[in-house]
Amino acid sequence: MKIIVPIKQILDPSGITFRRDKERMFINREEYILDPGSKAALEAALRLKEQADGGASESGWSVVALALGEPHADDALREALAMGCDAAYLVTDPAFKDADISVTVQILAAAIDKLGRPDLIVAGRESGDTGAGQVGARLAEALDYAGITDVYALAVDRSSVRATRRWGTGYAAVRAPLPAAVTVAPEAFPPRLPHGARIMSAYREWDVPVWGLEDLDLTEADLSPRLALRREGFPPPLETGEVYRGDPDSVAQELVIALRLQKLIS
Amino acid sequence: MDFSFPKEHELFRRMAREFAETEVKPRAKAIDREHRVPHETVKAAARLGLMGVPFPQKYGGMGGGETGYCILMEELGRVCTSTTTVIGAHIGIAAMSIYLDGTEEQKMKYLVPLAQGRAIGAFGLTEAQAGSDAAAIKTTAVRDGNEFVLNGAKVFITNGDIADTIVIMAVTDPALGAYGGITAFIVETEWPGFSIGSLENKMGIRGSSTAECVLQDVRVPQENILGQFGAGFLTFMKSLDVGRASLGAGCLGGAWAALEASMQWARAREQFGVPIATKQSIYFMIADMAAEIEALRSLVYRTAWMIDTGQPHILEAAACKLFGSEVAHRCIDKAVQIHGALGYSRDYEIERGWRDQRITEIYEGTNEIQRIVIAANLFRPYGMRIPT
Amino acid sequence: MDFSYLDDWMEEEAGEAIEEVGEGYRHVWVLAEPAGGAFLPATFEAMGQARQLADQIGVYVYGVLLGSSIEPLGQELAAYGADKVLVVDDPRLAEYQPETYTQAAAELVDRYHPEILLLPGTPLGNDLAPRLAQRLDTGLMSHCSELGIDLAERLLQGTFPVFGGEMHHTVTCPQARPQIATLEPGSFRIPYQDTYRSAEVQQVDVELSDASGPLQWLDLDATVALPPVPLAKARIVVAAGRGMGDAEGFALVAELARALGGVVAGSRGAFDEGWIAEEQIVGVGGEFVAPDLYVACGISGDVYHYFGLQDARFVLAINPDENAPIVKLANMAIIGDARQVIPAWLEALAD
Repeated sequence: MKIIVPIKQILDPSGITFRRDKERMFINREEYILDPGSKAALEAALRLKEQADGGASESGWSVVALALGEPHADDALREALAMGCDAAYLVTDPAFKDADISVTVQILAAAIDKLGRPDLIVAGRESGDTGAGQVGARLAEALDYAGITDVYALAVDRSSVRATRRWGTGYAAVRAPLPAAVTVAPEAFPPRLPHGARIMSAYREWDVPVWGLEDLDLTEADLSPRLALRREGFPPPLETGEVYRGDPDSVAQELVIALRLQKLIS
Repeated sequence: MDFSFPKEHELFRRMAREFAETEVKPRAKAIDREHRVPHETVKAAARLGLMGVPFPQKYGGMGGGETGYCILMEELGRVCTSTTTVIGAHIGIAAMSIYLDGTEEQKMKYLVPLAQGRAIGAFGLTEAQAGSDAAAIKTTAVRDGNEFVLNGAKVFITNGDIADTIVIMAVTDPALGAYGGITAFIVETEWPGFSIGSLENKMGIRGSSTAECVLQDVRVPQENILGQFGAGFLTFMKSLDVGRASLGAGCLGGAWAALEASMQWARAREQFGVPIATKQSIYFMIADMAAEIEALRSLVYRTAWMIDTGQPHILEAAACKLFGSEVAHRCIDKAVQIHGALGYSRDYEIERGWRDQRITEIYEGTNEIQRIVIAANLFRPYGMRIPT
Repeated sequence: MDFSYLDDWMEEEAGEAIEEVGEGYRHVWVLAEPAGGAFLPATFEAMGQARQLADQIGVYVYGVLLGSSIEPLGQELAAYGADKVLVVDDPRLAEYQPETYTQAAAELVDRYHPEILLLPGTPLGNDLAPRLAQRLDTGLMSHCSELGIDLAERLLQGTFPVFGGEMHHTVTCPQARPQIATLEPGSFRIPYQDTYRSAEVQQVDVELSDASGPLQWLDLDATVALPPVPLAKARIVVAAGRGMGDAEGFALVAELARALGGVVAGSRGAFDEGWIAEEQIVGVGGEFVAPDLYVACGISGDVYHYFGLQDARFVLAINPDENAPIVKLANMAIIGDARQVIPAWLEALAD
């Protein structure tokens, strides 16, 4: 059973200050981390492998991490290896710098083809920075796999994957045949801490192959983005001391509207 | 010159920090209040390979070297000095002495389980009449066939009551004194004759246990002599020397936590209409803390690098412990002052930090001993011996 | 009302539109989502946006329905702004099947060439939209909280949050068609329902494979047991103070936390009263929290408590005393008794 987990490296949000009043993003400390969505996907995949065979790698299960990013995305792949992946691959090239989601998916699909198509792809539901939440479902379509998004519980057998996914206002249990691509909800798969010895080995003993444009089967059309960024903006600064008075019912209505406007509740 | 950490150590630091935040910090207040060792934390640490950070993987360790060990101690020191003490005594002097002076058989038999956290270690040197004057120990080891019979009582032994393996210093030849008359033995605490006496009621690090260990006709096979027969003094000096750098790292973590807490409070607390962080009396204290912490950080990790690259480091390691404990003292003291009455409240962690810090100037060689070590190293090239 | 008289006028404009847009893509579509014989409010939000966008560029709004036995719902879409409704009514669409729905939608798109396609960002929409966008080789603006039109270039502009909502990006899909967007539910007004409005409802047949979709729906009412979120990492925290009065008052706070999907916490006063455990204290002697939303119920907000929530993104306080310290510090302060405001809030949420 082969599982591929596409992962992403993002800027560490704790090193960034967003000043709504100045309408600027200040990078106080430029550090990169393994995206939490990707970590959850790795956790989900590693759990599947452990549940199947107690984690023994002779069993034929393998979990492979694949990252498209800058050369320093190698660090994220090392962390994936430290968590327990069997192999990791980095796809990087200056030509990929302006990739949007469509281009990212084309590149990942080409890399997955080169790796040999897996039984299962497990991706994060969305990434912590751009949060588009499209990669998993797009990959399913690109590879002609069955697809299940927003999964909270996951199990797999020889020929199918069983998942509990968000549906309507609750959840639904579904089954899909392999090969399949699923995306997982981060809150359902809190990631493990990597074992110390694996952290040391991740850099010293493993090799992370690097692939560029010439290693993959991609056309120029594949690399042209579909979306263009027009503007980056900031929400208005939050005021303090805004006071609401009145009878409980009308005040409650106002506060529900205000919170929904701030995207704090649904 | 490249002052950056190797990448695996940076990843390790992130893991250690998260471990400290999720496993150690939530228990810190309770173990201090209830005066108990956090066994669950130790188990969780063992699962992640943290109980053997500096040791090579072939001995069940993590392969992180002294640098990795200092990183662990720093991250633990940020949140709980008690936990740092429990794990530090286990790794830094108990297991470390077996690593530095043990035979391959001893390493396989004792170091591996310690490094994997399946066994807990302690280091038994101090006695009631022998603290700084370590050579004044009276525990005896008398040969009987191919065994030694040990009799005596050790005091102030960290992990003494929870250890499976304890390295005991005993006098094998009273006539020879410190050099030639003391031997180190690896003792298993379950052997008959080994018992625990009283437990210390301490000002701080109350989440660690400090025990009296009594040996009554404990029979130790001669294969368990650690290092050379009669050269026990050298064995314990070696491991204490190396241990000092990591103690400095623990103090670094504690000092840094004091700084962070002070900054957080100073930003929030308003007096005279402004946050106290804008008052010079406060921010000067904070600036002083930060400057000292920077100096300590460079000292600790340079010393760790020297240890990892096999360079002489005795003076630097002693400086780590001496300077580190005093920096930690000044920082936590300033932190109490900055927090005002809140710094005096048992409901807040600052007073625990203040109580916990004080031992760092006393244990593992008092700061007076550190000064003797540094001076002795400075004057040795001139052929001058510095007496204790 | 019947707007078909406008058809002739629309056709006349067609010539210019084709040059601007390229390949003759026109009109704004909404993929409506029927659920149990009705529509989720998110569909109406999308209809409202579609109407606004279509009015700006002078085109029709098409409601699109995929499902089984859903034809009667078509007119309801008219009331919310649809000029025309396309219905694909087929038993193979009775349950959501990603491949089948993608196939049906893609065929409709290929046949009718909409320039804009909106989907509500429901679990179905978020599953289908990327798949469809990939099939059609076009761009998808997902989780949009705002939509607009660049009239000069006749381009849809989608705005969505990034970096956890600290910023937003506005994007366009300059070349590929259709321009697809999913709308984040709750971000848009639900338009006025005009029951006098009617639309032309057209049944369409599409080529669907006879094989049943691969997805098996085993249980539509499943439950998940989520691992508990530690207080320090919670996104929503609802905290109780002494002002809640008694255990009954505290129970309201716990209920609010459940309703919002948040974690219960409190001040030291709440701990002293025995309502919360020590690990749930926020502030001095307790936890430091950094949630997106912190609700302080009956908490005065002295520095010893406030200290713990400095890093909260949005603080909402409910306190009867206008002079309580927390009123000045909170982003929103309700002057009232939390014991009355919370039940009213819970009721408002249920609507």
